[in-house]
Amino acid sequence: MDSINRRELLGALAGAVCVTGLSGAHVERPSFFTEEEFVMLNTLTELIIPADEHSPGARAVGVAAYIDRVVAEAFLPEDQLSWRRGLAAVDRFSVSSIQKAFNTASGEEQIILLTQIAKNEKNPETAAERFFLQLKQTTAFAYYTSSVGIHREMSYQGNVLLPEFVGYDAT
Amino acid sequence: MLIQIGITPDPEVDLSLVYDAVIVGSGAAGGMAAHVLTSHGFNVLMLEAGKYVNTSKVLRSMEWPYDHPRRGKMPPDYHALTLNEYTARQSPYAKSSPFTKVESYVQSLGPNDYTKDLVVDEKQNPYTGTTYTWMRARVVGGKTNMWGRLALRLSDYDFKAKSHDGYGEDWPISYADLAPYYDKVDLYLGVSGHPENLPQMPDGRFQRAIRLSAAEVQMRESLKKMGRVLTPYRAGVTTDGLKHNKYRSRCYGRGACHRHIGGCDIHAAFDSTTGLILPALDTGNLTLRPNSTVYEVTVDNRTGRASGVSFVDSRTQRPYHAKAKVVVLGASTLESARLMLLSKSSAHPSGIGNSSGRVGHHFCEHVMGPRVAGFMPSLVGKPRTLDDGKPGGFYIPRFRNIRDKQSGFIRGYGFEGGSGCSMFPSTANTTPGFGQEYKKHVRDFAGATFSMGGFGEVLPRFENYVELDPVVRDAWNIPALRFSYQFGENERKMAADMTATGQEMFEAAGFEIISRSTDLLPQGWSIHELGTARMGNNPKTSVLNQFQQSHDVKNLFVVDGSSHVCASAQNPTWTIMALCWRSCDYLANQLKKGDI
Repeated sequence: MDSINRRELLGALAGAVCVTGLSGAHVERPSFFTEEEFVMLNTLTELIIPADEHSPGARAVGVAAYIDRVVAEAFLPEDQLSWRRGLAAVDRFSVSSIQKAFNTASGEEQIILLTQIAKNEKNPETAAERFFLQLKQTTAFAYYTSSVGIHREMSYQGNVLLPEFVGYDAT
Repeated sequence: MLIQIGITPDPEVDLSLVYDAVIVGSGAAGGMAAHVLTSHGFNVLMLEAGKYVNTSKVLRSMEWPYDHPRRGKMPPDYHALTLNEYTARQSPYAKSSPFTKVESYVQSLGPNDYTKDLVVDEKQNPYTGTTYTWMRARVVGGKTNMWGRLALRLSDYDFKAKSHDGYGEDWPISYADLAPYYDKVDLYLGVSGHPENLPQMPDGRFQRAIRLSAAEVQMRESLKKMGRVLTPYRAGVTTDGLKHNKYRSRCYGRGACHRHIGGCDIHAAFDSTTGLILPALDTGNLTLRPNSTVYEVTVDNRTGRASGVSFVDSRTQRPYHAKAKVVVLGASTLESARLMLLSKSSAHPSGIGNSSGRVGHHFCEHVMGPRVAGFMPSLVGKPRTLDDGKPGGFYIPRFRNIRDKQSGFIRGYGFEGGSGCSMFPSTANTTPGFGQEYKKHVRDFAGATFSMGGFGEVLPRFENYVELDPVVRDAWNIPALRFSYQFGENERKMAADMTATGQEMFEAAGFEIISRSTDLLPQGWSIHELGTARMGNNPKTSVLNQFQQSHDVKNLFVVDGSSHVCASAQNPTWTIMALCWRSCDYLANQLKKGDI
């Protein structure tokens, strides 16, 4: 199970490629988010769990696409609005800090912005700070329950049949 | 090869018969009553309010999260009540909820798609009064379908607690009375454990023990110097298999028990359905009727004796009556008390078996909340280990008020805990920040984690009780329960001590602490309700005698946790079953002799 799950890979490619408009052949829109919001979500989730030398990051496993699916089918309107408002709060913070929409900021600027939004993680006060927690928790859930998250990033060894328990006998 | 299980979902039940016994409820208590009474050759009818769910199929224990469309989460129109909703709102908690179905999931029983049909819909099952997180499973097998499966024995520190510290009442039995029945339960159902020879938590007839992680070994060695014990999780799980039960496999350490807490689709973990009810059905002496909500124990007003039970079909609301020589209640601590209070007659004006006025009172359980979490420094960044391929982590038995005497509180508490790698890294939710540093930290620390939380005895107090709500009714038009139940000073002082000793044990073992909680979780969180129809020798101050037989009504037995005289620090399920076995042996002999 070392390779990326095929379905996830296709999903991730569909998300990443289509929304950025690089492929004209097969454009699939996100179900709930606008294309602009989806680009932002893809960027933010990848900033939270980026690709590194160890394993792919949130973008490659389709975390934003997962969030889009879940938010699209949310039962209560406020559970959808919280995402839309949260992304808008991050964008407003970006405009007020560097006079640019988040999506047009440079990679370095985006990291600085996110660092500021994340700094009160334990006692969030502003709308953007509160949204960071929601975003991070959902990103972590989606990433670490993905095939890449479980098998490559965490090298999880369980969920197999064991004739004997693993570990040390109590003595 | 496991036998495919087939229960006829809608059996035609002959209600013209007078059964030898009618059992209300199919959980640990009801299941055990069915096993013992059918073994004695009696003709038994079992009524269960919930439906039959084939857990062999629905639990899908080894399904990877990414193979589920919502990563194992419930459908969007289902809602699980949050801690915040319980503490900020007034019960009934699901009142006016917009969701299609509202569920109670507490402790670590995370809401999920696999067990969502095992727990009740809170909208159909309201209750009122003080804050209480009442988790219920109305389904064949009851809560045993998803229990934490810690299978512990009580000792005379519990049965003779009053003699030890002066508080409350002694039980009308001692450990010696119950020990042979604990043995029977161990051998019939299977229990995994390591013998520790502790007077406060006697050993059982153990099958293959669970193994410990490196961090657990370090803690075990460290605790030895403090006179305390960390023992492998004593689980009601057959780790070697049971030759006499064709419905249950032995445990294969798949570790999926961590995700669908308790639920085991190969039934290595005990559940009442495969452990007790299916074998009882195979005797030909048991008739099971699911979807049967009992609302009254009926009485022969000339004699005052129970004559049977009235129930409605849970789906059609059609009323029925079942006749029996003996009525056995095993509907759970709170539901059995509710049923007794509902059963008012001229012979029993305050409810059947309630001449003492004690039914619903002395309600007790375990207090939870204090916990310590951290990591073992030498394990940080080490290669992955397989730490969750087992039915549980570890247990630290009670060590307070045994030989010592604490100044602030009486009784004691134990710790349940776990450590190391799991499918979802706990560090993902505890590591601050984001980016490469966050990702690496989650990865490096996941296998080094160690955490434990306390379960403390809540004292049985007369003023903690449930009663019938005069107004609110459930979906079957049956009066709901109203809670008057609060933790007291002893629980708060005990909880403060839990956090202190937890911290002390981490420090002694050389573990770093990341978080420690001193807050109490809401009442009900332990899912260990006990004591609403307690046993005793005095009919004026207790509801049942030592055989869980009503003092007032000789052919009424209450065989669930409601009979417990105190909560103990140890988890109750194994004691519920041992007591029930003993009582049903007595019942059978009395019935054979014609004495009841």
